[in-house]
Amino acid sequence: MERGGLPGGRDQTVTEAPRKYLKLALRIVLGGIFLYAGMLKIADPATFAGSVAAYKLLPTFGNYLVAATLPWVEVFCGVLLIIGIRTRPAATLILLMNLVFAVALSSAIIRGLDIDCGCFRQGGPKTSPWIALLRDLAFIAGTVVLLWLDTCRTEPPAA
Amino acid sequence: MKPPRTLITEIVVIIAVAAAIGLAWNRQMLVESWTGKVQRSSPTVATTTDRLPLPLGVMQVKELFDRGEGYFLDARDAATFAGGHIRGARSLPLGEFETRLPEFRKQVPKTMPLIIYCNGYGCHDSMDLGKKLIQAGYWEIFIFEGGYPEWKEAGYPVEGTKP
Repeated sequence: MERGGLPGGRDQTVTEAPRKYLKLALRIVLGGIFLYAGMLKIADPATFAGSVAAYKLLPTFGNYLVAATLPWVEVFCGVLLIIGIRTRPAATLILLMNLVFAVALSSAIIRGLDIDCGCFRQGGPKTSPWIALLRDLAFIAGTVVLLWLDTCRTEPPAA
Repeated sequence: MKPPRTLITEIVVIIAVAAAIGLAWNRQMLVESWTGKVQRSSPTVATTTDRLPLPLGVMQVKELFDRGEGYFLDARDAATFAGGHIRGARSLPLGEFETRLPEFRKQVPKTMPLIIYCNGYGCHDSMDLGKKLIQAGYWEIFIFEGGYPEWKEAGYPVEGTKP
């Protein structure tokens, strides 16, 4: 990107640097969170299957299938975001996963299920679905900002 | 800007690779859950480490009684037990738990559902006994909190009462 404002366009020199650092920070934070969340679940897949089962959304084998695969998708996305390769598909996937989590958590709240969200450490003290949902919405916001920053960078400057 | 098709392809590739590794990594768990072998260590209850006895109401207890399911256990002392108890119940006084556990273990398998009661809501011996039996490795422990008084009050079968 050349320095100096384009005629009639936004001043690129002002926005470029903060944008870069914000993107880097979001990548590391979101990537780190998902890497961490995924690794905790990989360490204890059977308990995670129990957490999934507690949502009462899937048949028994479906719970195990999710428990076997979902944490690995989380870890992959986390690693890709941190190292900055294939940021867009990784961030998009994280956004999609967070949307699914938000729907699942909302349905748990609506059905009045008193369950642990199963988001991070499996077993132990419960995290209420409300807190988990708020956290989830924060992740969604972060991912949307990250994707937006990414799109802006690759778009050709307005003529 | 990349076309969305590339983006979708990349997403599919990431999911496919991650899922393949996940399936391979957890193949044993998946096979066991598919064949239904994993039920026991099944994590549907996330409290396997600190399980507590489950309280039951008199209706539920009567249902189990009628179906002949479960092993009724009287936590009160031997003399009180002799003065009347739920029909078919066995005596295991809380105070004699340690001395009688070895014998009890031989007679009752760990998978047997145990329904424990004592002298009603003010009495905590049944709950204490239940906790000890969980520590001793028993799997399904129910507490009939209403205990003998509620059972007798309801006119359900008792035995050992003096005429």
